[in-house]
Amino acid sequence: MVRRVAEAARLSLTDEELERYEQQLKVILEAFRMLDEVDTGGVEPSFHPVELEDVLREDKASKWVWDPLANSMHKEDGYFRGPRIQ
Amino acid sequence: MSVLEQAHRINHRYRAFNHVAEALEAEGGGRLAGVAVSVKDNVCVKGMPSTAGSKVLEGYRPPFDATVVAKCRLEGAAILGKTAQDEFGFGTFNVNTPYSVPLNPRDTERSPGGSSGGAAVVTAVADFPHLAIAESTGGSISCPASFCGVVGVTPTYGRTSRWGLIDYANSLDKIGCMGKTVRDAALLLSVISGPDRYDSTVLHAPVEDYAARAGEPVEGLRVGVPKEYFGEGVDKGVSDVVWGGVKRLEDQGADVREVSLPFTRYSLSSYYIIAMAEASTNLAKFCGLRYGLHLPLEGSFDEYFSAVRSVGFGDEAKRRIILGTYARMAGYRDAYYLKALKVRTRVIMDFRRVYNDVDVLAAPSMPVVAPRFDEIAELEPIQHYMMDILTVAPNLAGVPMVSVPCGESDGMPVGLHVMADYLGEGDMIRAAAAVEAS
Amino acid sequence: MEATIGLEVHVRLRTESKLFCGCSTETVGAEPNMNTCPICLGYPGSKPMVNRRAVEHGVRVAKALNCGLAPMVRFSRKSYFYPDMPKNYQITQYEVPLAEGGYLTVNGERIRIRRVHLEEDPARLVHVGGDITSSRYNLIDHNRSGVPLAEIVTEPDIGDTKEARLFLEKLGVMLDHLGVYDPHAEGSLRVDANVSVDGGSRVEVKNITGFRNVEKALNFEAVRQWSMAGMGIDVSRETRHFDAETGSTSSLRKKEQEEDYGYIIEPDLVKINLRPEWVQEIVATMPELPDQRTRRLVEQYGISGFQAGVIVNTGLEMSLFYEECCRLYGDAETVANWLVTYLLKSLNYMGLTLKESGVKPETFVELLTLIDEGVISERTAKELIKDYAASGESPRRIVEEKGLALMGMEELRAVVAEVVSMNPDAVDDYLGGTGKASEYLVGQVLRRVRARADPNVVRKIIIEMLGSNGDNASVAQ
Repeated sequence: MVRRVAEAARLSLTDEELERYEQQLKVILEAFRMLDEVDTGGVEPSFHPVELEDVLREDKASKWVWDPLANSMHKEDGYFRGPRIQ
Repeated sequence: MSVLEQAHRINHRYRAFNHVAEALEAEGGGRLAGVAVSVKDNVCVKGMPSTAGSKVLEGYRPPFDATVVAKCRLEGAAILGKTAQDEFGFGTFNVNTPYSVPLNPRDTERSPGGSSGGAAVVTAVADFPHLAIAESTGGSISCPASFCGVVGVTPTYGRTSRWGLIDYANSLDKIGCMGKTVRDAALLLSVISGPDRYDSTVLHAPVEDYAARAGEPVEGLRVGVPKEYFGEGVDKGVSDVVWGGVKRLEDQGADVREVSLPFTRYSLSSYYIIAMAEASTNLAKFCGLRYGLHLPLEGSFDEYFSAVRSVGFGDEAKRRIILGTYARMAGYRDAYYLKALKVRTRVIMDFRRVYNDVDVLAAPSMPVVAPRFDEIAELEPIQHYMMDILTVAPNLAGVPMVSVPCGESDGMPVGLHVMADYLGEGDMIRAAAAVEAS
Repeated sequence: MEATIGLEVHVRLRTESKLFCGCSTETVGAEPNMNTCPICLGYPGSKPMVNRRAVEHGVRVAKALNCGLAPMVRFSRKSYFYPDMPKNYQITQYEVPLAEGGYLTVNGERIRIRRVHLEEDPARLVHVGGDITSSRYNLIDHNRSGVPLAEIVTEPDIGDTKEARLFLEKLGVMLDHLGVYDPHAEGSLRVDANVSVDGGSRVEVKNITGFRNVEKALNFEAVRQWSMAGMGIDVSRETRHFDAETGSTSSLRKKEQEEDYGYIIEPDLVKINLRPEWVQEIVATMPELPDQRTRRLVEQYGISGFQAGVIVNTGLEMSLFYEECCRLYGDAETVANWLVTYLLKSLNYMGLTLKESGVKPETFVELLTLIDEGVISERTAKELIKDYAASGESPRRIVEEKGLALMGMEELRAVVAEVVSMNPDAVDDYLGGTGKASEYLVGQVLRRVRARADPNVVRKIIIEMLGSNGDNASVAQ
């Protein structure tokens, strides 16, 4: 499980890490299973502690004055440089 | 000795900072004139390295101030530096970080608590006017406040703007504050609270002068003591000290009674699943392209991203990313992510119900006093998580809480946790100040 | 070509600012990364704020497509890693989309719309040293990151590649009329298509830009799949990329399982209620839909259904142009005739849109007035219209500059008299009853006067001068 999920999350783990995590996560997931005891029939999920609603912004363009590339080491001619696809 | 020199001294002795300001700059007068404010390293300060305790943000200098920092500057504060923390907030003892692991000033062989360890340390030892901006997701303000013997305030979720907070879990993160006294912390709370057009989840309720509530008599204040918070799993020494604090409240006229929060035992799992699910998405942006840790640009994007992230994240971060990703994968999402959200509703209802009968709750902040570093090294990850049992429920419910020093056990500070209803910071400060004064 | 086709259409919504931040959506002529901020660049600590107008546009699209609107919407995080994703998740709508269950009628057939939802655009990638599969590295421009998109997903109701193009054209005209997108902006409409033939596996062809490319891509893909089926080879379920230059699709990645996007509700945003009062307000400000407008033009202006259809389907711009011309000129039928038969033809021939040409209602009406005033002949006008369409210049001025004004009658008679006197044989033939002879004479006059005389008028003058020749009935028309 860990290998597959780690790949999806773009983490390349060593064999040692894979083994160690596999064990540790198994224990943790076991512990999480206690939630099965809770009767949540008819209960709505809470995405926030307090439900706020209808927060919207007016459609007006404004300029953020900054250098977007200042924190990047990989750039060229005003673009960000990114790795190849395949 | 100048304030900066003292800060360096503190850092040298207790390793509390990830970065000390090069110069103290303050403008104008205001409620924080003459005060040096330290900022937890996951709260952005423009131009100052902000790493959130992680290697993946090594050297990152934000192009903007967090709203709470801007508010402090407007009130005349000088920003002292960035305090040490567990990577992204992932931890209870401030040991999960490649940077400074701060030391508990009371006993440097012990942990100061986490994840806002550095903030608590500086608060405890600073001999100059100082307040700390800290942050809590599952208890990261209350824990170090309790372990170091200072006051730590975690406001209602949304009371303070999260614009500029490097996210751990967006529906759980709250920026709060620490001070040597309740009044001090309450002052900073009033400054950093309030609406912000850059954060959709911020509350628009008016901000009170919270410090003014300290010193109000607690006669008639209804204080609930949740029985689930004093049972097994809580150190007897700690329990006794906290009971002492509760009794002192009663002596001052508070109406103390036992209450029950039956879903407490499920809050730990619910909290961790939600927090990790959100965190695993928040951490996806760190891939070595736009900021933070970079590697030479080689390979396909899958290879490059994996290389950066494997080097940049620590063990605990990797575990949480994996668990969080798993919890929201098709096939597991219902059993983990959605289930946890429903259990959260149950926990929230616990608090709503109990606040019909009482104004505040009182309990120990942490089940133990600050453990030794060598003890911590023996613990399995699950045991780290279990240390949060007393703080996760109110954090999950988003209610405000304050940890106030209440005595000692085994020579180490013990914190009493006062928890109030949504936007009940006023009553909370009132009760905490009464404990402090007694 | 027959195939089972479902489409996912991404429409860039016309707003001033992006979906979650205040950066301008203007990409034309913008330096790379100049319309960005910490939010659309996904900087740590940044948080999104929802653009009200984008939601309103989404509602308009949903209503125009006859969908059922959700009572409230939420945003979700769709997690996947790619260099064009600033946060390596996209804020979209998964659990609670804006609208579901609508349709668009194409040639009498209803193509069902599964859902309409809002999401943010990723960045623009420039592949350096090759194409998407072979480039050495990429250059990333985030001006596009965060631009609001409406995603329109159809059921696989489309039965052949031509129908797909017709569907998209109709959709495009409708969106244009709604005022929610700019049909002339590059990349304002992108399509992912799901194609299968004969019950075989479903192949996804991603990121096709432009209607012509869609039909091309679908045809290529359908042919590919039919050939494989014909040879008994199984078509693998995969994602393919369309190369506009070669006109072919190539494999991007094998899709053994659905990519797991690990959706969660976006915890930095709150739910948006689509209250009935708000929806009503939005609907009240919705412009006429194309079918409605076509019917109205027929009723209001008495033009044919065909002409109205052409005007409307050319675009909103053209519809407004037409109506303004009618307001200025009065004779709606004449306007329609000249517009549809001649102006549009010239514009299409030159590949110009109305906007690009500079043609305006005032100057178009000027052209028609010149005919009415007798300054130019209809024949001249049909020629002139080409220059006019290319430049948008005032027809009156073009007539002056090129000396196209019709000659005065005095002057014309003089020329005819001259030609007649110079061509005695033709005159004899004419008087002898040969119809062709009069044409020859007319031709000779026209060679001298060019556009400055109407051939019918010349013919009349010849008849006047020489008298009828018996064959005149068929000649003088």
